[in-house]
Amino acid sequence: MTALVTTLTETMRYRGAIGQWSWVLHRVTGLGVVLFLTLHVIGVAYSVFYPGLWEEEVLIYQHPIFTIGEFVLTACVVYHALNGLRIAILDSRPHLWKFQKQAATYVLLGTIVLLIPTFIIMFGHVLNHYNESPTFVDIPTLINAMLRFAIGIAAAAALAVLASGLYGLIGGNQQDVTVGKGTGSRMERFWWSFMRISGVLIIPLVFGHLAIAHLVQGVFDLNMANATIGGVPIADAGAILANGINNSGTAVEYVAERWNFLIAGVALWRIYDAALLALVTVHGFNGLRYVVTDYTMSSPLMRRAATYLCFIGGVALLVVGVLALLGTIDTTAVQLAEEAKAHFLSVP
Amino acid sequence: MDIAFRIRRFNPEVQGKNKPYWQEFQLTDVEETDRVLELLHRVKWEQDGTLTLRRACAHGVCGSDAMRINGINRLACKVLVRDVGTKIQVEPILGLPVLKDLVVDMEPFFDHYRSVMPFFVNDTAVPTDGRERLQSQEDREKFDDTTKCILCAACTTSCPSFWANGQYVGPAAIVQAHRFIFDTRDQAWKERLEILGEPNGVWRCRTIYNCTPACPREIQVTKAIGEVKLAIRAGKREGIATPVGPIAESNS
Repeated sequence: MTALVTTLTETMRYRGAIGQWSWVLHRVTGLGVVLFLTLHVIGVAYSVFYPGLWEEEVLIYQHPIFTIGEFVLTACVVYHALNGLRIAILDSRPHLWKFQKQAATYVLLGTIVLLIPTFIIMFGHVLNHYNESPTFVDIPTLINAMLRFAIGIAAAAALAVLASGLYGLIGGNQQDVTVGKGTGSRMERFWWSFMRISGVLIIPLVFGHLAIAHLVQGVFDLNMANATIGGVPIADAGAILANGINNSGTAVEYVAERWNFLIAGVALWRIYDAALLALVTVHGFNGLRYVVTDYTMSSPLMRRAATYLCFIGGVALLVVGVLALLGTIDTTAVQLAEEAKAHFLSVP
Repeated sequence: MDIAFRIRRFNPEVQGKNKPYWQEFQLTDVEETDRVLELLHRVKWEQDGTLTLRRACAHGVCGSDAMRINGINRLACKVLVRDVGTKIQVEPILGLPVLKDLVVDMEPFFDHYRSVMPFFVNDTAVPTDGRERLQSQEDREKFDDTTKCILCAACTTSCPSFWANGQYVGPAAIVQAHRFIFDTRDQAWKERLEILGEPNGVWRCRTIYNCTPACPREIQVTKAIGEVKLAIRAGKREGIATPVGPIAESNS
């Protein structure tokens, strides 16, 4: 903790240039995205395993608090993407360092330029929704749902600390991590390259994902009855869950439509989502490991726990996500979703 | 010109001063071409003899008076009053244990320095003419920039990764390693890349760029670190380091 406090206060006090502030923003935006990623992957997986909970989750996304969060999240993703690109380029071409300040300024400007039209379109969706005098989930429901995630995250953290404590009891805490002792893994070289390559690959995928779910479609349209499905053409002859129209007006059908859409026999959106899931989860949780281990180096217990937590979190999300992507959503699931939606929106 | 000085003080041996605190001093008749080191001397000699700082050559060569001046790491002997204004705040560099006032314990820093084998290694027989091992001008230029390091620790203690984690080897040690890794006459480059490939080696660098402007010798520190990273990734040293400029020019 001392390391974190020192770094926070001294970063405010040290008059580092824009590079230092870019680093701060990169960490903060990255942490924000990882947090939402956790909610989101589990949320979408609900559509296969507990359809009612995904329905609830999307209703929560539509709550005013989460609408603010949606704007913040979008800003986080855009900044993290552009600044990550800057870091990837400068790291692969160190002699370009002379342009780093300019580049950091361009990243900020680029973020603003991209966000202006994005926010205008997103705000249009918000206005549309509010014009229809919508009902929202109540606060206890929202807190309840978030509590589930908080408990899950806390359990993972407790498990990580426990495992690290056990390791310390059996293996000892004496590992010398100073450079030159020949200890420590040689994996960091791989991770360094992975972060840069995956980061660049993620950019088009995540921008496409954002465009569909926040601009073309909009979070408020995900469970709108008879709405078209972004990225799925209308097929009149198709089955009810593959006709390009959200007949039931549930978020579960929205997912089913996308995942059932086949182009030349290939489930395009399942593959797209699988690629996004794999790259973002590994990138995100390894980034989380970077951040947390930076500030826990003085305690072998917490240092290991940090790594374990990121491993547990990353693997859990990958497993849940992959199982969901391999699953099927049938009409029973949609029916459950409809009931859940009616339940959560019913005026008491 | 009058100067308002704010200095971070600490004396572990005196009750009431064994927690860091700020002390203010006023100086009159200051020239804008005075160096901050001279002002510190005046405070010590004219106002408070207990003020403790480290300095030796006072001309930017020995690297002993690195401190944080108005929020940025610099050498007190190279900063003029006109560079920093009439309000000057001085504190010790961060990340190394403070011993007293502006003096920090440099041993952890030198430990990191020693860990990268900062010496020339070549066990082959000397050339038959008994004279020096020859090297082309182009090869020499690749590491010229990193020969200039004076081990003042200004870069290492400007790095947020180092503030958080004193076990990170730090920019200065990597600069020193760079100087030998890219020297074609040296044979231990693989060992150095191996050492710096450890988790607390180069990979703690997050490309923040605080170290580059902190260097009083204007070494392109982040660039040097970047080249070492690329060498570790590639497992070779050829074709990675780019010269900063012709030697004659960069040394003038």
